[in-house]
Amino acid sequence: MTETPTQYPDSEPSDGIRIGVYVCHCGLNIAGSVDCEEVAKFAAALPHVVIAKDNRYTCSDQGQELIKQDIKEHKLNRLVVASCSPRLHEPTFRRTCEEAGLNKYLFEMANIREHCSWVHLHEKGKATEKAKDLVRMAVAKATLLEPQEENVVPILRKTLVIGGGVAGIQAALDLADTGYKVYLVEKEPSIGGRMAQIDKTFPTMDCSICILAPKMSDTGRHPNIELLTNSEVEDVKGYIGNFKVQVLKKPRFVADECTACGDCSKECPVTTPNEFDIGLATRRAIYTPFAQAVPSTYIIDRDLCLNKENVITCDKCLKACEREAIDFEMKPETVELEVGTIVVATGADVYDPASLVEYGYKKFPNVITSLEFERLINAGGPSGGHLLRPSDMKIPKSVAFIQCVGSRSEKDGHLYCSNVCCMNTIKDSLLIKEHWPETRIYVFYVDIRAYGKGFEDLFKRAKKDGVLFIRGLPAEIIEDRKTNNLWLIGENTLQKELYKINPEMVILSIGIEPRQDSDVIQRLLTLSRTSDGFFMEAHPKLRPVDTPTGGVFLAGCAESPKDIKDSVTQASAASARAGILMAQGKVTVEAITPRLLAEKCQVCGLCARVCPYNAIAVDKETKRVDLIEAACAGCGTCGAECPFEALTMRHFTDEQILAQIEAATEQDADKKIVAFCCNWCSYAGADFAGVSRMQYPTNVRIIRTMCSGRVAPKFIEHTFARGVGAILVSGCHLGDCHYLNANYQTQKRIEKLWKKMERLGLDKNRLQLAWFTAAEGEKFASKIKEMQSIVDSVTLDEIEKSKVIVKRTAR
Amino acid sequence: MPLRLWRKPLDSEKIKIPEGEVHVLKDRCKGCGFCIEFCPKEVLEQSEEFNIKGVHPPQVKEETVCILCSFCEAVCPDFAIFSVKKDCKGGC
Repeated sequence: MTETPTQYPDSEPSDGIRIGVYVCHCGLNIAGSVDCEEVAKFAAALPHVVIAKDNRYTCSDQGQELIKQDIKEHKLNRLVVASCSPRLHEPTFRRTCEEAGLNKYLFEMANIREHCSWVHLHEKGKATEKAKDLVRMAVAKATLLEPQEENVVPILRKTLVIGGGVAGIQAALDLADTGYKVYLVEKEPSIGGRMAQIDKTFPTMDCSICILAPKMSDTGRHPNIELLTNSEVEDVKGYIGNFKVQVLKKPRFVADECTACGDCSKECPVTTPNEFDIGLATRRAIYTPFAQAVPSTYIIDRDLCLNKENVITCDKCLKACEREAIDFEMKPETVELEVGTIVVATGADVYDPASLVEYGYKKFPNVITSLEFERLINAGGPSGGHLLRPSDMKIPKSVAFIQCVGSRSEKDGHLYCSNVCCMNTIKDSLLIKEHWPETRIYVFYVDIRAYGKGFEDLFKRAKKDGVLFIRGLPAEIIEDRKTNNLWLIGENTLQKELYKINPEMVILSIGIEPRQDSDVIQRLLTLSRTSDGFFMEAHPKLRPVDTPTGGVFLAGCAESPKDIKDSVTQASAASARAGILMAQGKVTVEAITPRLLAEKCQVCGLCARVCPYNAIAVDKETKRVDLIEAACAGCGTCGAECPFEALTMRHFTDEQILAQIEAATEQDADKKIVAFCCNWCSYAGADFAGVSRMQYPTNVRIIRTMCSGRVAPKFIEHTFARGVGAILVSGCHLGDCHYLNANYQTQKRIEKLWKKMERLGLDKNRLQLAWFTAAEGEKFASKIKEMQSIVDSVTLDEIEKSKVIVKRTAR
Repeated sequence: MPLRLWRKPLDSEKIKIPEGEVHVLKDRCKGCGFCIEFCPKEVLEQSEEFNIKGVHPPQVKEETVCILCSFCEAVCPDFAIFSVKKDCKGGC
């Protein structure tokens, strides 16, 4: 361990503030491109710093022990750690503080890894200078930190599980078995999800519905589970531990008295293709989606049924039902639920290959999808388990599978690997061989990914059984008009030769894609999504089932494409995580909510108008302003809006942010970019750029706020007055804000500032506004590169001019 | 479901749907038009001809779609219309 000798400034700080600074090497992660020893020496000379050290792993037990000792020995009352992102280790060091008897809000972090060493791998000198600045900024903020008391919020011991596929079922069962009340909301008439449609599961070749059905009926019968099928979550309000959820229960028009005898369905005179069988079989207007449906109660599709609104023209089902269970008067009902935790298991959609014209799906009858195959090979399916060619209802003697349809494609479909299709095809090919061993089977693939337990064995078995694997997808499928057989033409990339194969049937191995209605859940629960469109976890490695929203967890394909085993594993993990919260029964809420300075407040009501949560009650008559702390999420938009500085955002005060700005612009301000980043999306996006080692110019200095809505115009004006080259304000995408809509205020304020700059004759290009998701590291890096050219082009005259003008006109 | 249903169901030939035959007693009709308005399958339309009462009685437009709900029969105030099960081959 390299340790810089303890250095003391010339005199003891007079105001009693004693800061300890710890610069972490993180092995070579930081020390590889930042001279940590020099940064520590620099820190030691900063005001109020009484001790500064560098060590290899500050987050290790030894590193933390050292901090604890120093806090006691040197009577430290502020702590700064320069290491990784606060999104990773802030909780760790806050705990260290508490263990040493220091209020955890007296801790500040300088992110010199994700925001420095990893993005400036080859510029050690500049990176070191940047690290010094970041430490200087952290020390400046730390000097002004105040101890805070956290509110304790009770957690309701009830859970909402959204989605009744295998992940939702598993999560519901686990939580219900633990003893918590569970509401399971499913959009479709029955729970079961995709797994119910599948014939066999890989690699064990178990019958899918046979292993799922018992779980489904357990779910339906469980005393702790309330099943809300044919229902949708309409609104979610509240916060961790205390969510208020509105669920729309759409009417089934068949009451629970239904015994699922099916007499009604036989009489029903209208038919439509059955969704469950992907249109390969017919259902009536009164129907059950499949035999094992839970609840087994039938349902009437009123869009199809002849009885519109209040006129009963056809009463065939009414007459057929002995139990008199049919009730056309049923109305939609909104149910209000109060829950402490939420598990999102909304699942995924499948890719529609019709857009890949070269494969001719929907044009050639004998080109089918892997999901259609599942229904055809299923003994309970529309063909009674016979793999029939749709063109002539004959069993094909040769079959070709095409892999990666809609997956791993730059051109059409999605960039990502859908994870399950390789094994699914191998399983399907073995199913065909089991029933019709003579069938010739070709599998056209890009790579076969048989990475899981038992997967390779199954792959070997398929090869042994004579399934032919050919590397290289066909470029085109052409139909033989007479026979309806298909010609597959392409290149075998292993043997570098062309193939032309004429199977009787083609099965497109379609990929998995995010649900089209994901944005509804995203908005209701303020979640983030990756560039692929799946919900994003709080941390890809260490918090894989948590979301950025407290009390909300992910399970199954909603998070990313995965097979049944992984979905079930993740569901159990999510229920364990939710269970931890509920077992504790309470949670502390971060002390970042505002405090009102009544003597400064003029009861103008501007704060209440911008609050996304209606957490500020203003009564102009009685001149009373009340902050409703339980409803506040701490975005700080109110603080930015208040013209009288009557709202103090705890832990992100005006003074603290201004001190960070001043520290960032102390040297060479004209060469620098000051970037305000919101905690949830853009700061996380910058972290992601770091984790992915995307290199960008070193002159950016990031200031973290909870929301871009916290960035008050005066911060920007002050930054310009300090002579900075350019400013970036960034947040979540509009409509995606972690604080509902607070970033619209950001946009409004920046647009106002642009106008003001234009009026004053300043170059408004120097103030940039950009939206990044937590997955858009690349976009962040290229934005900084783009802004570098703005900084380069700004003349010293322009900077001097803006300094003077802004100082003169600032409020 | 982004995968839209487009195939003809394999069992579409086997599904039996009742077929009705509609009979109008023209001269009883007073032309209220209830049967035309309420028929869920839009089997009926107003005819051009006049009956004994001087009104246009309904006529069958598209009999093949009648599914024998018999609502025309129920809704007619004058007992002027009725439907019966169609005789057909194949035992439907």
